[in-house]
Amino acid sequence: MRYTQEEFLSQINEHKGIIHKITKMYMDNALDQEDLFQEIVMQLWKAYPSFKGTSKFSTWMYRVALNTAIVFFKKDNRKVDKPPLNEQIEIADTSDSQEKEEKLAYLYKAMQELNQIEKAVIFLFLENQSHREIAQNLGITEVNARVKLNRTKEKLQQIIKKNGYEF
Amino acid sequence: MNFDKLKDDWNKNEPVSTEVSENMLKLKEASTPIDQLRKKMKYEFFGQLISLILLAFIPKLIGFTDELKNIYILFYAIICGFMAYYFFKFYRFYKHSYDLSLDSRKNLLWFYYEMRLNLELYKSLTYIVGFILLAFSAIALFTIKSDLSSKILAKMSITYIAINAVVTIVIIGVITELWATSYYGKYLKRIKIIVDSIDEE
Repeated sequence: MRYTQEEFLSQINEHKGIIHKITKMYMDNALDQEDLFQEIVMQLWKAYPSFKGTSKFSTWMYRVALNTAIVFFKKDNRKVDKPPLNEQIEIADTSDSQEKEEKLAYLYKAMQELNQIEKAVIFLFLENQSHREIAQNLGITEVNARVKLNRTKEKLQQIIKKNGYEF
Repeated sequence: MNFDKLKDDWNKNEPVSTEVSENMLKLKEASTPIDQLRKKMKYEFFGQLISLILLAFIPKLIGFTDELKNIYILFYAIICGFMAYYFFKFYRFYKHSYDLSLDSRKNLLWFYYEMRLNLELYKSLTYIVGFILLAFSAIALFTIKSDLSSKILAKMSITYIAINAVVTIVIIGVITELWATSYYGKYLKRIKIIVDSIDEE
């Protein structure tokens, strides 16, 4: 089955939000996020001929994108000013949507303290995947996926609390 | 902390992002740890090739006798044979594509063992070349009569030469291990940490 570049780009653009969420979760600054974004797009393009179409494009994309992020290491020699984890995020408007934005901003910050696998677990959970799907994507047992998810949730809660925020 | 509520907010939030264009598919080369290791190995391949060429000029530079030159050619041919074998293995590693659509554990284990195998191959090549050169030195010293070997044997005892051989082997080993660890080992170490965390019960 041959896939054209146009088909690939159209599919990627439809689901690019997934890649953006992964890059924000795995990298803590814009430059590294951009590097990871490009790396994921390129790995997806390289792997595209092996996409048989037996599963949904987004399902296949989750795997390739997450696996790329898990083994992606940021450039060692790059110096970036990172805001401290407990820095207050300024939100001028107090409307409901702004509150949600703020909550997610704190969540992304807290996620920086998780390890590569914990990030993958919580990401798949937030993307509405069941314990079984999480286990299948990570290649672990369902019981282990459940244990890992519970531990990650607890750890995330503690990090958020430690940084003086609660939701 | 209400994770169900958080999940809703997460799914309603669509990050603002730019379009993925055709140019993005050609922008840069891949940089997974495997790709970085391959890139370093490629540079090192040229270094080893230059060393191999330089080794060919040693008989002329040192002024070997005809007898010693013939033995050297034989040893040189053995080194070339080993290097060709290892270079072929490295070339296959360099060209072998990987599949990131496997589950994460399989993918990580593939990365880890592929990197580890090639690192061990790389180290064994260094040991083999080192030992062949050491064996050649021993033959040159003890079996071929020349002014240089006679002078060395007259000045040094066999115990002293044996200790020197042991020290040389240890130095080759330490340098190879240190070089492999500092140059390539960091990727392996990082992947191992992730493998351990996925296998954690």
